[in-house]
Amino acid sequence: MKPIESFDDLTTVTRDALVDLLYRLGDDELVLGHRNSEWTGLAPILEEDIAFSSMAQDEMGHAQVYYQMLHALGEPDPDTIAFSRKPREYRCASLVSLANDKNWAFCLLRQFLYDASETVRLTALCEGTLVPLAQAARKIRSEEKYHLMHGRSWVLRLGNATDESHERMQTALYEAYPHALGLFEPTAADEPLTLAGICPREEELRRQWESAVAPVLADAGLEQPETAQAAYGGRVGHHPESLTSLLNDMQIVYKIDPAAKW
Amino acid sequence: MTDTQWPIYEVFHQQARGDPHMYVGSVHATDPEMALLLAKEQYARRQACVNLWVVPVEAITASDYEDADMFAHETDKSYRESWGYKTPKTIRSKDVDQDQSS
Repeated sequence: MKPIESFDDLTTVTRDALVDLLYRLGDDELVLGHRNSEWTGLAPILEEDIAFSSMAQDEMGHAQVYYQMLHALGEPDPDTIAFSRKPREYRCASLVSLANDKNWAFCLLRQFLYDASETVRLTALCEGTLVPLAQAARKIRSEEKYHLMHGRSWVLRLGNATDESHERMQTALYEAYPHALGLFEPTAADEPLTLAGICPREEELRRQWESAVAPVLADAGLEQPETAQAAYGGRVGHHPESLTSLLNDMQIVYKIDPAAKW
Repeated sequence: MTDTQWPIYEVFHQQARGDPHMYVGSVHATDPEMALLLAKEQYARRQACVNLWVVPVEAITASDYEDADMFAHETDKSYRESWGYKTPKTIRSKDVDQDQSS
């Protein structure tokens, strides 16, 4: 298919679908970045505390890339997008909204499942027809490479270490898996994005993700929840209550004085 | 009290291909692969980096500071100082490209 060099070359339908996709991508990154930043100072090991916090900053940087692209498409500026929307206006999957509950196993596993999905999606976007998005995806993918190595290493070690660590990881997997499937919630944007060659269908990405995570989970000695029902709703603005309290925390300073410099 | 910390790995950082690996600090880690992953965020997130080494601290054999006098130059032997010679910058290791030595 012919490359699309500029946003100006998009039809209205494709453009609207792209806006929807960018909100999904950006909101996943921002909300997970915030969740992971909640571990700063609290993670079980100093080195990991720093690594996890640094990756949280990476995710927020990725959100900014997507939000800037949205701004170029006529949406508000990145700060306004991040800090002044209501929960229902967010398009993140439930996986990233769920509270940490001081559960390190769950948060590590969530990060791994998410990073695997991002890698699959970014690879597809790199091969897609929309040139500005493919360029951004290539940049982001290089940081994701480390994230996935990090997550995979932890999952393999904790899955195979002791009975307790195995048990915690298995429980976390059962809890996280339906929400991870929710990352691939089909939306009305699937059709126009596929037709324009910008991004494959969500069901196709889900297939690729499943074949990427299955061998790692198997090597970690973890049982994959085969009958898990995907937790949908996030892509159309239906979120767990936990997103509301996260946004209250995240937006508190901005709401006091939106014009403040900080 | 027993030490519950993980083993220590010393971390060496290379800013550009062909540069010497410089000692930057240490990390606690369960194994070498994990040490590399953790070292990346501790020591390579603010400055340029193309390569990291991690070395288990036990692998290092050090001289004794009490013997530091053996390094002193008591008489004039400036004739053997090798200013002007080009010295190799890199240490060869199985994971490092062989085309870097100069």
